[in-house]
Amino acid sequence: MAIKFKSLSYIYDEGMPYAHKALDDINLELVEGKVTAIIGETGSGKSTLVEHLNALLLPSSGSLEILDREIVAREKNKGLKALRKEVGLVFQFSEYQLFEETILKDVAFGPKNYGISEEEANDKARKALKLVGIDEKMFDVSPFDISGGQKRRIAIAGILALEPSVLVLDEPTAGLDPKGAQEMIEIFITLNRKQGKTIIIVSHDNEMVYNYAENTVLMEKGRIAYCGPTLELFNNDELVRKYHLLEPQLVSFKRMLKEEGFKVPAEIRTIGELAKYMGKEVRKR
Amino acid sequence: MSLIEVKNLSFSYNDTSLAIDDVSFSIEKGSYTTVIGHNGSGKSTLAKLLAGLLEAKKGEIIIDGLKMNEENIYEIRKKLGIVFQNPDNQFIGSTVRDDIAFGLENRRVAQRDMDPIIDQYAREVGLTDFLDKEPTALSGGQKQRVAIAGVMAMKPDIIIFDEATSMLDPKGKADIKKLINELHDTGRFTIISITHDIEEVLSGDDCLVLNKGRIYMHDKPEKVFARPDELRKIDLDIPFNLKVKEALYKNGIKLKSSDLKGMAKELWQLSSNH
Amino acid sequence: MNNLVFGKYIPIKSPIHDLDPRAKIAALFVMIAAVFIPKSWYCYALLGVIILGIVLLSHIKITMILKALKPTMFMMAFLLIINCLTVKTGTVLLSYKSFVIYSDAVLNTLFIVVRLLLMIMLTTILTATTKPLDLTLGIESLLSPLKVIHFPYHEIAMMISIALRFIPTIIEETMRIMNSQKSRGVDFEEGKLREKINAILSLIIPLFTVAFQRAFELADAMEARGYVPDQERTKYHTLKFRFKDFLFLLFAHILLALMILSRFYL
Repeated sequence: MAIKFKSLSYIYDEGMPYAHKALDDINLELVEGKVTAIIGETGSGKSTLVEHLNALLLPSSGSLEILDREIVAREKNKGLKALRKEVGLVFQFSEYQLFEETILKDVAFGPKNYGISEEEANDKARKALKLVGIDEKMFDVSPFDISGGQKRRIAIAGILALEPSVLVLDEPTAGLDPKGAQEMIEIFITLNRKQGKTIIIVSHDNEMVYNYAENTVLMEKGRIAYCGPTLELFNNDELVRKYHLLEPQLVSFKRMLKEEGFKVPAEIRTIGELAKYMGKEVRKR
Repeated sequence: MSLIEVKNLSFSYNDTSLAIDDVSFSIEKGSYTTVIGHNGSGKSTLAKLLAGLLEAKKGEIIIDGLKMNEENIYEIRKKLGIVFQNPDNQFIGSTVRDDIAFGLENRRVAQRDMDPIIDQYAREVGLTDFLDKEPTALSGGQKQRVAIAGVMAMKPDIIIFDEATSMLDPKGKADIKKLINELHDTGRFTIISITHDIEEVLSGDDCLVLNKGRIYMHDKPEKVFARPDELRKIDLDIPFNLKVKEALYKNGIKLKSSDLKGMAKELWQLSSNH
Repeated sequence: MNNLVFGKYIPIKSPIHDLDPRAKIAALFVMIAAVFIPKSWYCYALLGVIILGIVLLSHIKITMILKALKPTMFMMAFLLIINCLTVKTGTVLLSYKSFVIYSDAVLNTLFIVVRLLLMIMLTTILTATTKPLDLTLGIESLLSPLKVIHFPYHEIAMMISIALRFIPTIIEETMRIMNSQKSRGVDFEEGKLREKINAILSLIIPLFTVAFQRAFELADAMEARGYVPDQERTKYHTLKFRFKDFLFLLFAHILLALMILSRFYL
């Protein structure tokens, strides 16, 4: 199964003089069970694209296939609420969605909207909070009395508690300090590896994308410029130059090593892997 | 005497813990100091204390010979401008032009003098074509440039950047970082930049590392990064090149150079020397 | 949100756009008074023609005025029904079994409707031809005599202009929070009353939290840039009251005088 965009276009304020085509004839297949990054400049249509995944936006034309459902432009689409449970979407600066009196209540809010009992909802909330590393001692604290980084975790737990099979995150690490950002990403990677969840991350952080995302979608002016394995995009100098991508520093360093004469394997994607390889190379001679 | 002298400064938001705990340091005129520390280390509190937006519980701040107190605060504010984190929450005017004018109106600059000043600083930050745009028509990076122009128009000696790049996309970040460097190069400003961006620390003259409201280190950037374990201990990152060097060291490779190019060369020599 | 017409500035050039906002605000009040005075239909015909003339001069499309009137249709229909049920004077227009409609019911409604329509047309002209900032400057200037009784006219104008500046930002924010909560299964359109209340709370509380945070940050930013509320400031924008502004205001007053006279002579 895959998530398929079929000639999908989206126009903001359609029919108005200031109408704006944000997505232009998108044909795209996202593989389930993988970590996929969506990159591109601000205004290239990344957020508009992901807001289609849980039907917050409905296509102006074309269609979208997701989890046995098809959403077609200009047709009556029912049961969107059910889809939103299966496709969890975490917005940018998601900490602003918190509103309940306690952390536990806030996280249980989502499941409760789907008509399950209070007890069951709290169970799911506890599990989700554990996943994002929030200690049980904090469950009864107000979500307004904690740090920004923790608020972000609570907000993400609020979506995880819905137990979606596809998790979409719009710049989940923006504004976090480097350590917080690193921990956040590791949570998503674990969810993918251990529970097989499909993870789709919109990001500006190419370093992180190179380290973790198996596939990358590059957007440019409402169109798909590249869709495929992350390594094949960033290891290809020509593509990096053509799309003015900010080159991950690891890629720059790998290139310098190649220029010296090393044959660095293309599949190396972290500093740790590279250092290990270099260790072997140096000892070998 | 230094332009900024901070002596035994303490501050707390509540009675239980100190957000700034007995901090002393000085900053030289024309220098570029970065302030790092993880969330909650007191970075932004320090910025607000320096700008006189918070009142110290203990200790003193002396700026250009003036002691920060109720009497001197307006005089001190004339010497100091601050660019905040959120581009939207510091855009006061309804257009770029009006926003730059806001500070001038407060300073009681005569109306006929305003337009030339606005034009000059808009040009310095590259916003000449955007003067009549509304904030909704601008990107985050452009809004931050407006904030910088607004601060520059007041001709301060000191500009504080309080995580001014943290909400921007990579393009906006690079843009503002470049602009900060250019401002520093003119020699007209003393710059204090509070940042998460470890790479930015390298372009500063000095780095102030805060932890739990106290000064953890205050040194040249290269000296600060020469102690990576101590930085790790307080949840701070180190620049990419040093991470590489460290990882190689763990794999039994000890290198002399620290820059990427140099390391690549050294590695090749090592592997062909046997 | 974007098809909200009432109160929206239309950035074009016209003789009406060109007038001093103070002249426009004052003339608006005078003309609204004029609209509520006469009892004769001749007067309303005259007012109608004059106000339509101003609309034409302002280069605003008639369709836009009509759009601004649309939301009031429901209220007018409601008014008509109430009047039909309560007013029992005049000639009988229609009778069906025990249900009778009298001519005065229709006439009374028509009076109110015409007055309302003219009033809405006038305010639309003002807001469509005056930049929000100029409107604020105009209000500030008109309120400035109140400084003798220490009325904080400047602070109020500053508040209005900041509120106007933040409207688009807050709308954007509202949309984002709504979408976040929809993603958590909130249904803003359907559901029982209890669910509805929860849905609204999940929108309002975060919205207020963010607004307060914005306000604090904005206050810091203003203070850091040397703003002191009761201290005198110079002005980047100043208004110029010209002869044509005087003429426009005079014209409004003549209209008012005519309408007052009509009460005695018509």
